[in-house]
Parts: sequence; structure tokens; C-alpha cells
Amino acid sequence: MDNTTSSNPLAAQLQQWLLAIQATGRALLPSSNDELLQTIVEAAARIFGAAASSIALVDERAGQLVFRVAYGVGSETVVGMRIGLDQGVAGYVANTGQPIAVSNVQSDKRFARDTAEKTGYVPKSILAMPLIVDDRVIGVMEVLDKISAPSFGMQDMELLGMFARQAAIAIHQSEHLDELNHALVENLRALVSPEAAVDIQRAMEHNDALRHDDVMEIARVFQEIASLGERERALCLKILQAFGEYSGDR
Amino acid sequence: MSELRPAYSNQFTSDVLRELRAFGPIASISREWAWGGATGQGMRVAVIDSGVEYNHPWLDDCVKGGVIVEYDGRRKEGVRISDDPTPRDLFGHGTACAGIIHKLAPDAEIYSVRVLGKDATGRGLQFAGGLRWAIQNGMHVMNLSLSTSKQEYYALFHELADEAYFKNILLVSAVNNIPAPSYPSLYSSVISVAAHEGHDPFTYYYNPEPPVEFGAPGIDVVVAWADESMMTTTGNSFAAPHIAGIATLIRSKHPELTPFQIKTVLYACASNVVGDKVTG
Repeated sequence: MDNTTSSNPLAAQLQQWLLAIQATGRALLPSSNDELLQTIVEAAARIFGAAASSIALVDERAGQLVFRVAYGVGSETVVGMRIGLDQGVAGYVANTGQPIAVSNVQSDKRFARDTAEKTGYVPKSILAMPLIVDDRVIGVMEVLDKISAPSFGMQDMELLGMFARQAAIAIHQSEHLDELNHALVENLRALVSPEAAVDIQRAMEHNDALRHDDVMEIARVFQEIASLGERERALCLKILQAFGEYSGDR
Repeated sequence: MSELRPAYSNQFTSDVLRELRAFGPIASISREWAWGGATGQGMRVAVIDSGVEYNHPWLDDCVKGGVIVEYDGRRKEGVRISDDPTPRDLFGHGTACAGIIHKLAPDAEIYSVRVLGKDATGRGLQFAGGLRWAIQNGMHVMNLSLSTSKQEYYALFHELADEAYFKNILLVSAVNNIPAPSYPSLYSSVISVAAHEGHDPFTYYYNPEPPVEFGAPGIDVVVAWADESMMTTTGNSFAAPHIAGIATLIRSKHPELTPFQIKTVLYACASNVVGDKVTG
């Protein structure tokens, strides 16, 4: 690859471009849904009159829950924190896919000790709800310490269920975009393969030299593709793949 | 606000709950006949859950053993079962359920069947493995404050529920807290339970509009929890062991009754069912 790229300015440029995409992660695609998730936890905390709220995602390989966003008391220390899937109220919910409300939590000595050590904050009441996509528990949303009452009730449970559904959809979409991003990068990788590079150069030269504007234009198109419906995205991917194959064959 | 309640629980709110009549000989079944004087003596109850803390002070040494069911993809049934003579509880949830059953049926023996853990891969198979162990190891009643909503497990759990029924083993299952189908709670031979707001452990209701058939206390219930602690909890999970406890009493007093007959007795004695026993 090095030999080819050094003698082929277009391939070198594409290669550089590809590296840049990989380095910035989602540079071409909408940023992850953390902002939306953050809004959801904040809204939940405010509506429930809760001291804090958070969303943790399941890391199946590690057997852990990783806190992704949080709002309220202790939120700075919670984000990024990992707990075992076999631990605590959140672990139970992730295990069973069943929501649970608990209060007088401090009487659970182990729970209190573990969380206090990690966050410096021990809630008195917790409502924990699974985030479910296609029968799969992808995370847990929690609200902590209802200010107006000693515990969360069944109605709270139902209401949090609605927030959790929103969050689950947001996370699912974000996963989808990650996959799409990956697919696009893979297609680009195919395009910059030594065999394809010369042909692409020829094709590009036909329509003027590749300029910075073109890169931006392609980036914009990719962004548009990402915002399309599922079928359209699938179609675009097929076209890209076909082009990759075509270039590879020639 | 009733539309904001969890799935199935809204059928047991005071404004919706309606009085039902029992007819014929069923109307004459009284609570005194059903479980008066019973303690659960001679009954083995499996709590299929996160484990049961055998030495929790609320359990008075009623935990007589247990097993841990783990996922093992290399085996035919997908699980590995190991003895757990002095069980512990990963979360506290199984101990909570055991504590409720023990309070109602103090002389019943409780067995911990731990089917939860770190590994998410084979959870449905672990759950099924726990059921199978309980069926094959002489349990009389099973408490399932767990369920699966995965369609792929529908047939497997149905087969196990039928096997349990024909072996005269009673399955009591909590329905999902969220509106989704849950197995095995939806099968007719299983006694399905949701939460109502009351606190008297013997106040329970029959729902004229199944699939969920019974409503028992499950809101702000004070329960035993891991590490010898206690906690106040809410969920359909805690309603199921109330019915499991009462069913254990009935079964211990009338060992000849089949699961459908026990369900009928539970129906006749429900707090919203009126029969001869009340009207004379």
C-alpha cells in the first residue's frame, strides 16, 4: 500500500482522509445521542422531582454496566463508572429486564458501602427501569431519591417506562449509526485499495481534480444518507458496495 | 391516573375491581377449609431467582439447600448445575421472595435456585434449567418472580410448564411489570400474579379479565434483602410470593389437589369473590 500511495497522490489523499475519519470517530455522521440521553435523564429527574437520574449501558463482554449520562447529585463521578451485572439494583434490572422500586436503600449494607465508595452518594430510594430493544436489555435507567415522597410508586414506574422507551430508541439509533459509519469506512477502505486507486483517480480526473470542496461534498452526502430511512440507507450502501466491487474488478 | 399504572396492575385498583360470585359447590369453599391451621409443613418450595441468603435472620433456617444454574454452551441443555448447600443471594431479590413465602408458610422448606448472574448469553436457558431442576427434584411449588418475553423460549417454557402440571407441581409467576408478553406467566396452568396496593398478606383478588389472574400485595412491601438487611420494594415480583405462600398452605393441607384445583380454591377464597361462605 505504501508504495502505491507514495506514487499516487489521490490514493494518498484518500488514505489520509480515511485515517481522519477513523480518528474522529463519527466525523461524517451526526454526533452520538448522548445529548439526547442527557436531556432525557434531566427531564426525568425534574418530572419525578428526583435528586438524580442516570442511564447505564450493558457491556456484555465485560459483564458490566457502564454509566453513560447522569444528572443531579453525584453526576460528575457517576459518568464512566462501571459496576458488575451481578451487582446492586441496576444489575438485577439488567439481568431480569424487570423494573424495580426500592426505598430505605441504606439498610442494604453492601449496596450502601459499594456505591458510597464509588460516588460518595448513597440514595434512599431508587426506581430502576430496563432499556429494552428487540427483547434485549441494553441498559438501565435509574431515578434516585424522590424529593416529595419516601418511595417511588407504581405510577412512577409506568411513567419512567415511557422515558426508558425513548432512551432505548435513541440508543438503538445511535448503534445503528455506528454500524453505518463502520460500513462506510469499510467501503472507503475498499476504494483506496491499490488496485482501485488508479481507476478512481481516472474517474475523478474526468470530473476535475479532487479538491477539498469535493471531500466536504462527499461528507455532506454521507450525512444525508445517514438521515434517510432504513430502506434508503440500505440502497445507498448497496450502490457504494457495488461501486467498490466494480472498481476492484477493473 | 389509572392509565399510568403498570401493565396488569390497573385491573386491581379499587375503582376497577369488581365483586364476583362463586357458584355451585365452589361457593362453599371457605378460607378455613382451604388453609385453616396449615403451616406449609412437608412442602418444598423452589425460589427461582437471584439466590436466597440461607442465613438471613428473617428466614429462620427454612432454606434447606439449593443449586446454581449457569450457562454452558457446550452442554446439550445449555446449562451447568452445581450444588449450593449454603446459598447466597447476588442481589437480594430472591431473599425478598423467600421471606414473603416463609412469613405465610413458616414450616415449608425453601430451596434456592439461582439462575441470574454476570453472563447474559444464556439467561433464558438458565431460567429453563432452573425450572427443569425443580421439576426433577421433588419440589411442590415454584415461585417465579422472573419471566422472559423472548418468543424463542415460548415452546420450551410451555413444555416445562406442562411437565410441571402433570407432575402436580404448582408454578406461581409474576407478570411483567412492563406491557409485554411474559413466559411462563401467560400459560393457563401457571398462576399469574400482579401487584395491588394493599398490605394485608391474605388480601388478594381474582381478576375477571385474565391473562393475569390474581392481584396480591406488591407495593411498598417491606422485605428481607441481601446481607441480612431489609428494604421496602415495589413490583409484581413481590406479589407472586404472596400467592405462592397461600398456595403452599393449601397444598400442604390438601396434598391431593392438582394445580387447576388449587387455582379454583384460590379463586373461591379471593377477597372480591362472594360465595356461600359470606352470604350464608
